[in-house]
Amino acid sequence: MLGDPVKAQEVFHATLREAAQRAAHGELPEEPFWLFRDARWRCLRASQTDLQAEPLEMDEQEVTPDASSQIESLDPGRLAIWISNAPEPQRSALALYYLDEFDYREILDLAELKLSELSRLLALGRRQFQAWLNSHAI
Amino acid sequence: MNTPRLSRRQRALANCAPITEERTADRSMRSAMSRACSGNEFVAQQKFDRALAALVQTMPIPSETAEWFSTKDLVPVSKWTWKKIVRNPAALAIGIALVVIAGVLVFQFIARLNDFPGSPTARKLLTIASSTRPVLLDPVNTDAGTLSDLFFMKHGLEHYDVPVEFADFKTIGCRVFEDEESRRIAQIWLAEKRMQLFLFPAERDAKTGAVLRFPGWRYLRQEGCVGAVAEHNGVCFMAALHGRDKDLAHYVAKPKE
Repeated sequence: MLGDPVKAQEVFHATLREAAQRAAHGELPEEPFWLFRDARWRCLRASQTDLQAEPLEMDEQEVTPDASSQIESLDPGRLAIWISNAPEPQRSALALYYLDEFDYREILDLAELKLSELSRLLALGRRQFQAWLNSHAI
Repeated sequence: MNTPRLSRRQRALANCAPITEERTADRSMRSAMSRACSGNEFVAQQKFDRALAALVQTMPIPSETAEWFSTKDLVPVSKWTWKKIVRNPAALAIGIALVVIAGVLVFQFIARLNDFPGSPTARKLLTIASSTRPVLLDPVNTDAGTLSDLFFMKHGLEHYDVPVEFADFKTIGCRVFEDEESRRIAQIWLAEKRMQLFLFPAERDAKTGAVLRFPGWRYLRQEGCVGAVAEHNGVCFMAALHGRDKDLAHYVAKPKE
């Protein structure tokens, strides 16, 4: 969600601090994903104060069968930067989806998206990432 | 390239297909995946997604942050507690249904415990007792015990004897009628607590024709009436009145000499 690890850690700790305070006052919400939703909004607020990347027309290419071998040789930090540079709400969709902890309904709930939007954002993300992989000849 | 035909929703679901198969709890998702998996496009997508997810897992987490995660799962798995199960509408409905079924079974079991040969007839006669008016009977003012001769002489009913416990009570009236199975029933109305006495043939074994005997007095209840039934010489005797078991108990508890 955030390209800057220091900021990400600040958001993480701020989220947990508030959760601990709410727990101490017995004010923890009933619904299970409030912590993640809260963390997401903090990330979005933090990213607004960053330098904003100019909207960029990214190339798209169909996912190829050998993409997995290209990905295996990729540095995970570059993937993190790629995802954190994606515009909202695509960034949230990709981050939540590839974290592989939520099913699609939970992602719809967390990112406040419709199924068609999530589907479009993920498909677009795949094609753009494939084009990026190809252009960097990984 | 092999591309299966998918509806718009199925295509959308296939695009959001779970990376690990553990998360395919959703029926529509399973259906969309089973249709899509015959296509090369979907297979490539799954490989792509798995590779990316594996790469995400290798992202280094700062040690300060990592120590917060004591378990593997980020999402708290809701545990099934007894409270949750009880509050679940389906479990609640099943529970209520089981309680009702158990209640009916217990009720039937208890009802069966009081059953004896001739109890169905006795129940019908209790219904008659609760609806009969004294005017329907022939007026007879005598001791109940003496009516045995009347039943024998006038109606040819053998052994229609009133037990000694009730023999000395004064009668208001009596009659002999046939029930729907053409069995001849003697009915006596007493002055004592407006009690009614019934004499009817005892149940017999369908094969051998032998009288089905039972010892002592048996109680049964029907529509606010209580009856005490005894069998003697192939004839059942029932004393019936409006009230409870204890109202009849002291008449049958101490047989008169």
